[in-house]
Amino acid sequence: MSRFGDWLNERFPAREMMREHMTEYYAPKNFNIFYYTGSLLLLMIFLQLISGFLLMAHYVPTSQGAFDSVQGIMYDTRWGWLIRYMHVDGVSLIFILLYLHIGRGMLYGSYRKPRELLWIIGYLIYIMMMGEAFFGYVLPFGNLSYWAGQVITSIIHAVPFVGPGLTTLARGGPGVGSATLQRFLALHAVLWFLIIAALIVMHVLALHQVGSNNPDGIEIKQHKGPDGHPVDGIPFHPYYTVKDIFGVGVWLIIFAAIIFYAPTMHGVFLERTTFFRANPMVALPDVTPPWYLAPYYAMLRAIPNKYFGIALMGLAISLPFFLPWLDRNPVRSARYRPVYRMMIIIMAITFFTLAWVGEQPPLPKYFIIERLGAVIYVGFYLLLPIISSIEPTRKVPERVQS
Amino acid sequence: MADTLKNPKDTPNPGRRRFLTAATTVVGAAVAGTMAVAMIESLEPTAAEAASASTSVNLEPIEPGMQVTVPWQKKPAIVVNRTPAMLATLAEAEQKNLLKDPQCDVPQQPPYCRNRFRARKPEWLVMVRICTHLCCIPHYRPKRASVAPWWLGGFYCPCHGSMYDLSGRVIKGSPAPHNMAVPEYVFSPDGKAVTITTMYKKAHLC
Amino acid sequence: MTRKTWVSATAGILAWFAAGCAVAAPQFSFSKTTVLAGARLFAEHCSACHSVGSLRYNRLAALGMSKADIEKEIMLPNGANYLKGMEPAMDVADATKWFGIPPPNLSHMVRARGQKWIYAYLTSFYWDPARPSGWNNHVFPNAAMPDILAPWGGTYASDGKLLQPGLESPAVYHQQVAEIVDFLRYASDPSIFERHTIGPYVLGALVLLTLFAYLLKREYWKDVYNRGNGKQARGPKQG
Repeated sequence: MSRFGDWLNERFPAREMMREHMTEYYAPKNFNIFYYTGSLLLLMIFLQLISGFLLMAHYVPTSQGAFDSVQGIMYDTRWGWLIRYMHVDGVSLIFILLYLHIGRGMLYGSYRKPRELLWIIGYLIYIMMMGEAFFGYVLPFGNLSYWAGQVITSIIHAVPFVGPGLTTLARGGPGVGSATLQRFLALHAVLWFLIIAALIVMHVLALHQVGSNNPDGIEIKQHKGPDGHPVDGIPFHPYYTVKDIFGVGVWLIIFAAIIFYAPTMHGVFLERTTFFRANPMVALPDVTPPWYLAPYYAMLRAIPNKYFGIALMGLAISLPFFLPWLDRNPVRSARYRPVYRMMIIIMAITFFTLAWVGEQPPLPKYFIIERLGAVIYVGFYLLLPIISSIEPTRKVPERVQS
Repeated sequence: MADTLKNPKDTPNPGRRRFLTAATTVVGAAVAGTMAVAMIESLEPTAAEAASASTSVNLEPIEPGMQVTVPWQKKPAIVVNRTPAMLATLAEAEQKNLLKDPQCDVPQQPPYCRNRFRARKPEWLVMVRICTHLCCIPHYRPKRASVAPWWLGGFYCPCHGSMYDLSGRVIKGSPAPHNMAVPEYVFSPDGKAVTITTMYKKAHLC
Repeated sequence: MTRKTWVSATAGILAWFAAGCAVAAPQFSFSKTTVLAGARLFAEHCSACHSVGSLRYNRLAALGMSKADIEKEIMLPNGANYLKGMEPAMDVADATKWFGIPPPNLSHMVRARGQKWIYAYLTSFYWDPARPSGWNNHVFPNAAMPDILAPWGGTYASDGKLLQPGLESPAVYHQQVAEIVDFLRYASDPSIFERHTIGPYVLGALVLLTLFAYLLKREYWKDVYNRGNGKQARGPKQG
């Protein structure tokens, strides 16, 4: 290439990295719509970084100033509304993508050997994202933010032995106030974000080490052509880069439509009670988490005992870590496992039903749904080792189906 | 994907490939560029800054010879009620040829203040009390001989010894290059208050 | 996942999206004109007690009201600043003494409660001698606020019987209340006109980008299909 290119590459492995991760990274050619989610997540997290930086340039992390500074962004800052809606709606869209991405992994068995670590790192990113979302949620210091901060830090209180100490440590005082906002801002914008960024790098490196799975759950590396490349694989660049650019275009149309025409998404993406100033004297009629955390909240409420409820929630969040070892069937993809496919569909319906019920007021008529949902959710993981070792499977083809 | 299989014999078309790559790049860069402009514009002063940019000073409590300093746009703005004796020193300084820029040729003040008094009304001096040398804040020394035997009254900078007369005009021999800056201001209709609005665009502070 | 499933899921999402975009009731003909009409009514009736602290007076200039008109019709004579947020005429401490609670800042009220709720609240007052103010409300029982619009809208008993007709006909009165709600909706979401003006251009640019990207993807993927077919032709030999 150019002389500058040579000079650069003697000092920095740009070409080598390009080859390793783009032009000579062979991905299966049968990716479907679910496989846009990875690149879209990268894009969205980058946009969160940009919009978050600009929000922070105007934000005041004190209990007196936080609400007004955020409203100042909405009213007095040029394009402030655009930046805040990008950041707020971006969170919900990221969680939509995360659930599609995780669901895809479950559907096509992408957590199975040799991708266990890839799955665990990915799931860890999801858990870190929940924390990141929670810290960000408290920062605007609307009344919902205040009470969400109170409720979540009091959940930590139930942790045996260290709980009360951790709660004080999280709040930085007897209640949620300026000290809490300052440490949450520091966590949200610095520590947590850096950990997530590092985990994303590890996730991509681990993926490129083991290679991408595909909807058929077949190892493409088992069929290599005379050139040593998988016959069912195509170079990521240019084929998947151009495809992902198209996906980005479609996704940005959806994103822009939400920002410009329904920025609060009828109170789902930006809740009504965030528009009241934080008030420690006035509790909300019902404190419900944002939709993407609601399934766990529903399970928390399913048991009328603080400690067991929290234990169930902790169990629900940690069970997916064990998925690679709970699934014992030699076939990966749900395409060739009708029973497993049905289980995944029931699980998806259960998860979104739990999300819906978690948003409802705590009325007795919903308890039965919460409990049933919790039983199905936990049951999926507990029954998987048994069902997966006896379930019937269809014949897996030799080569990927395009 | 199935629809693209309709013409499996389609041969790659390098010209079309180049054109579409260029088109996608151009539109993508335009979208990203527009976005970047909006993002940078968001860092401009907000409406809240604009609302707190002007400062009003009540003139009634300011006695003759007295200086009042008010914070204005994070800078020390002063309002001085100059006595006739103090105003007389301005002509005296010109006669003794003490000043670097007696006619205020350098636009350190709005055009309506380009006079001996550097003011809309001779007795009221409205000025930003920042030395044009290195941004120190000069002291108000209105008494004769209070700084040097020949001193007529004025402003004396403690940092590097810059000296100004009672209109903020710099005295020869000072390290400061220019007269001190006069901002834009208006008197209220009844003359009992002055509102300092914006910095005079051509003036520079230090 | 069949194509049909995706299409119907997408259609469902779009329908839900569109349902929320449509403005609630037919009386809310939300536009810059109704917002300004509502601002005038608000200044006349509401801003004695309520502030709209987040909305600066000069914002109304962007909707087409002149500075002179804003100063004359909207700003109160107690030293309100054109560049600052809308302030109430009444001293907050006095108001707290009289009503028991400070009259709330209404900047975000429509976002917090919804325009239907505000509209229903303002039109649901009834005469209740048991209350200190003499007023009660069906939507918000024991509200501290009296029905200050009763001289125009009429006084009703709790069973809906008209006790004393108002100065305005019900149609005009309800239109005016809707205009006040329109103003408050604007106050809680002041980017709305800007968003709706820029929105089509942003979406247009992104559709263009997507179109080019789609054609580019198809052009490149010809390689994949050509190669794939060639491999499939050799497939049986390998097997």
